[in-house]
Amino acid sequence: MNFRTFAAFVGPSVFMMLLFIAFPLVSVFKQSFYITQPIYETVEVETCTPGFLTQTCVTEEKSQPVLDEHGEVITQTQYVGLQSYRNVLEPERAWRAITDGSISALTTIDFWKALRFTLTFTLITLPLVIVCGLGIAVMINNAAQAIRGPVIFISLLPFIITPVIGVLSVNWLFRGDGILTALLEWWLNRDIALFAQAWTIEILMMLYRVWHVAPFAAIVFYAGLQTVNQDSLESAVIDGATRWQRMKYIVIPHLMPLIIFVSMIHLMDSYRVFEEIVGFASQGYVISLQWLTYDFLVPDQAGNRSISRASASAMLTMIGIAILLIFPLRRTWRDHKGGH
Amino acid sequence: MSSRALRQPLSLRLTSNIFLAFWCLVAIFPIFWITVMSFKSPVDAFDSNALNVIFGPTTLSNGNGLSLLDIILGIAVIWGTIALVSKKMPVMIKAYSKEGQEWLGWVIGILAAAVGFLVVFFVILPAILSVLNPLFGPLGRDILGLTTEHYQTVWIDRGFSNNFKNSLIVTTGVVVLSLSVGTLAGYGLARSGSNLAFWLLIVALVFRALPPSALVASYLPVFISSSEWLAPILGENAPTLYGKPFAVIAVLVAINQPFTIWMLRSFFQNIPAELDEAARVDGCNHFQAFRRVIMPVMWPGVITTGLFSFLLAYNDILVTSLLLDAQNQTMVPAIVGMFNRETTTTDQVVAVAAAVSITAPLIFLVLIFQRQIVSGLTAGAVKG
Amino acid sequence: MKLKSLFMAGAMSLAATGVWAECAYENEVPLKSLSAGFEAWKAVTDAMAECGNFSASLDQEFREKQPEAFAANPSLYQIGGVANETMIPLLNAGSLRPLDDLVEKYGQDLLPNQLIKVDGKVMAIAMMVNAQHLMYRNDVLADLGIEEPKTYDDVLAAAAKIKEAGVMEYPIGGTFKTGWNLAQEFVNMYMGEGGQFFGEGNMPSINNEQGVKALETMKAMTEFMDPEYLVSDSTYVQQQFQQGKIAMANLWASRAAAMNDEAESQVVGKVTMASAPMGAAAPSTTIWWDGVVLAANMSDEEADAAFRLVLEGIDGDMVSANNDVAVWLSPAYTPGDLAAGAAASAENGAKAYPASAPMGVLHSALGNGLADYLTGAKDASTTLADIEAAYLTAAKEAGLVNN
Repeated sequence: MNFRTFAAFVGPSVFMMLLFIAFPLVSVFKQSFYITQPIYETVEVETCTPGFLTQTCVTEEKSQPVLDEHGEVITQTQYVGLQSYRNVLEPERAWRAITDGSISALTTIDFWKALRFTLTFTLITLPLVIVCGLGIAVMINNAAQAIRGPVIFISLLPFIITPVIGVLSVNWLFRGDGILTALLEWWLNRDIALFAQAWTIEILMMLYRVWHVAPFAAIVFYAGLQTVNQDSLESAVIDGATRWQRMKYIVIPHLMPLIIFVSMIHLMDSYRVFEEIVGFASQGYVISLQWLTYDFLVPDQAGNRSISRASASAMLTMIGIAILLIFPLRRTWRDHKGGH
Repeated sequence: MSSRALRQPLSLRLTSNIFLAFWCLVAIFPIFWITVMSFKSPVDAFDSNALNVIFGPTTLSNGNGLSLLDIILGIAVIWGTIALVSKKMPVMIKAYSKEGQEWLGWVIGILAAAVGFLVVFFVILPAILSVLNPLFGPLGRDILGLTTEHYQTVWIDRGFSNNFKNSLIVTTGVVVLSLSVGTLAGYGLARSGSNLAFWLLIVALVFRALPPSALVASYLPVFISSSEWLAPILGENAPTLYGKPFAVIAVLVAINQPFTIWMLRSFFQNIPAELDEAARVDGCNHFQAFRRVIMPVMWPGVITTGLFSFLLAYNDILVTSLLLDAQNQTMVPAIVGMFNRETTTTDQVVAVAAAVSITAPLIFLVLIFQRQIVSGLTAGAVKG
Repeated sequence: MKLKSLFMAGAMSLAATGVWAECAYENEVPLKSLSAGFEAWKAVTDAMAECGNFSASLDQEFREKQPEAFAANPSLYQIGGVANETMIPLLNAGSLRPLDDLVEKYGQDLLPNQLIKVDGKVMAIAMMVNAQHLMYRNDVLADLGIEEPKTYDDVLAAAAKIKEAGVMEYPIGGTFKTGWNLAQEFVNMYMGEGGQFFGEGNMPSINNEQGVKALETMKAMTEFMDPEYLVSDSTYVQQQFQQGKIAMANLWASRAAAMNDEAESQVVGKVTMASAPMGAAAPSTTIWWDGVVLAANMSDEEADAAFRLVLEGIDGDMVSANNDVAVWLSPAYTPGDLAAGAAASAENGAKAYPASAPMGVLHSALGNGLADYLTGAKDASTTLADIEAAYLTAAKEAGLVNN
């Protein structure tokens, strides 16, 4: 395929990605090195606000942005180098905490707190998703033909449900005297508050994520299991291989590309964990990197937002994902080269 | 695994099936539970006793309930519909629709099934039951508290059907556009061994990994002021992109492209290159080869990929909540809005009913396309 | 809902529509509004929609959209709903139209109290006020012979008594959800202690005795609260009250009506609205208002029509039809028992929320930082120092503090 044909085929797709992803990405990258802020002047202002019955007026010094002749806010943009990254990472405080050998001090700094949780979350859910997915796939494959259809259908439900709704429904089941907490309390015969400490919330979030993603893994693996070479399985039986050995030496290697595919998708998605934080309202205990970016970005009541720090934190998140993806990607390179 | 040598001992099969049953329970429970909640009065819905939520004593005492007869007949109708849709419908569509126009058959079939079900379940069945219930004595007495008033509130009073329509527009747009752009790119990438193709894929992967909240926020000011900066190009008619469904469709398609082209590329790689090479020997160029040879065999992979696009667009909240105004709002942001602003417990249950309402089409969709998903995946739509 | 009450509600809503189904005039200029989405806004925008040619966006993300949409020329929305703090960005960007001429032309029925003035110019029309105040279960407290709590020490003593008597395990409820809610609780306490948030040049000044006192009071309260307090927002506290799980809470006046809602409350008539508990200097609460603004970037004709429509939306008919939805600022409003708490707090000298650009930054920093103290990760003065540091970083980035 020559270059022009290739360009014609991929053109529309590349154009859309450039316009809506690459272009904003470049601006995010640039913003992480600059700070744009309005110029403020201090003025004395009298403000009158309603009381319950009568009005109260106060005269205060207030910072007000300067407007130009068109009535628009004058802003200045300044190159600040790595300052925004420093503001996010807080290296001095982090270093002090490390030299003191105090992990708990390190994890009171927002970025490191978020990184700690994001990594834990990603690395613990990854094997769980693979193992559960594989387990469910094998079990479906073992089941009688007649019930496979309904079982696959039920298995897919957690995957297709709108994540926000999924988080909320799990939230109701457990929060306060939610039905499952009540059940646990009855079973263990003690008072349980699952949203009152960090580790229970973390476990709930991970369980939710596994519940949500394992079906996807399962269905992919199940599709892979349909193409396992039956002859090699049978000859393995004749050679006296146990079930476990057949699984280990024939089935798993056959599924390996799929396992890597699922791992890659899962790494990317779980490193961006966000819905769980908002849905479980866990900010008081644990936060994630994407939540941190979001928090910088959302304007406060008075409309201030930290665009530069948000950009820096988004770039840092990206670097993290890139590092995690290097291993699965090396294989794709070999495949790509080998395939032609 | 039909062969005798591979047959499993009873104990293993039993354990395996027990675990499977357990998984099904875990998978379905939260969804089952919010469905139950949505049919109860607020006091029952948030009761901490599970039995009260299921049987709904308060709902029952308010005069809303179902008798045993209602339940049996209701389940029979649902079961019948499922059987009809999953067994009979594909056969009938094959039989009645023309070759190559099966999709039309599917659309008509699905619509007919949906309308038929709604009519039977909500109009004919209640009419029959209101006659039958008094005749059957104890069987006809209400035992299960259940009310549909929250659904009425959602769909009639709150105008949720408008949100539904908007979701439909956005989702359809995203699926169609995403697949047409994506199949071309996926095919191009699969048939090109150049380094450029590889790096494009890697860059797409990096794009897939981007935290979306950082990107989305930078769209807002540009979209709002678009009529000002587009004016030099388009003159008077420059549109304000903010609030327009087509702008949101474009954004969602772009965000979804990386995943789409990766999936379709690996799918096309599994279609032997000899097929289109043969066509090209016969004098077709790449596009003709694509249309004549590849298009007829690509549908399983495209349907599977399309389903993922559908899920992304249908479930999206980040883009839609920020870039659409209230008149064009889709369902998910509308529901989240309900949860965050409604203060009374009644309103919370109404929001739950809305949440169940948006899950229903998803379930329906999976019911229909389940076989295609598995066969699409088996055909290699996902491979390393 | 009982069938009877359903009919009642139906009859009432019919009666209500009978009152204000017909708008006094026909609106001919197409108008749009963008506001928050709570109940009061729904009532007001519904009343405005009666006049035709009007569409309302009750939007979750209005904070993010409003400054951008109002800065566009012409503005995407003519009418905006704001609160004291959310008006700041619009005001600072010069996106608001001064309303003096329109008030003079049409605003004869407005109370002087409703006119929000900045530097002598009317910039917004307030329609309601809201404040957190003490709600308590009169039956529970009376049974144990406890007087109405006046200070937080009283509240804590009462809670200890209730717990000891075994009436409730967690007698106190609180809107302590991490983020905006939690910060708001601190602001209430700190204002009650008479603290100042800022010194010269927008430098933070919360790491002091009053700040530590405020934190300690909050921590003392959590001893008597459901341990999941860091996820409990107003709706959750309201539900706890309705289900009879808590006896006292400092809750928003706009939630008072829910206590007497027969359809879902088990404590109808058992909740008394009282003044917010006194701190050393003032009641531990802040007064908020919600109101309407008009965009600067529109024609005078549109502004004229928009202002008339706004007045129609907040007129007496709407207020009487939705009397208990909020503490309305209107001659037609009849304050009942439900408004007694807000009134008593105001009488005791409750202050307005000190809305300003730096306060927005500090409020966010507080919201993110306070949980560390309540979970025990940091002590009080470290927490406050870290919050000040977080504030400084953000304020420097916003240009509010010079480096």
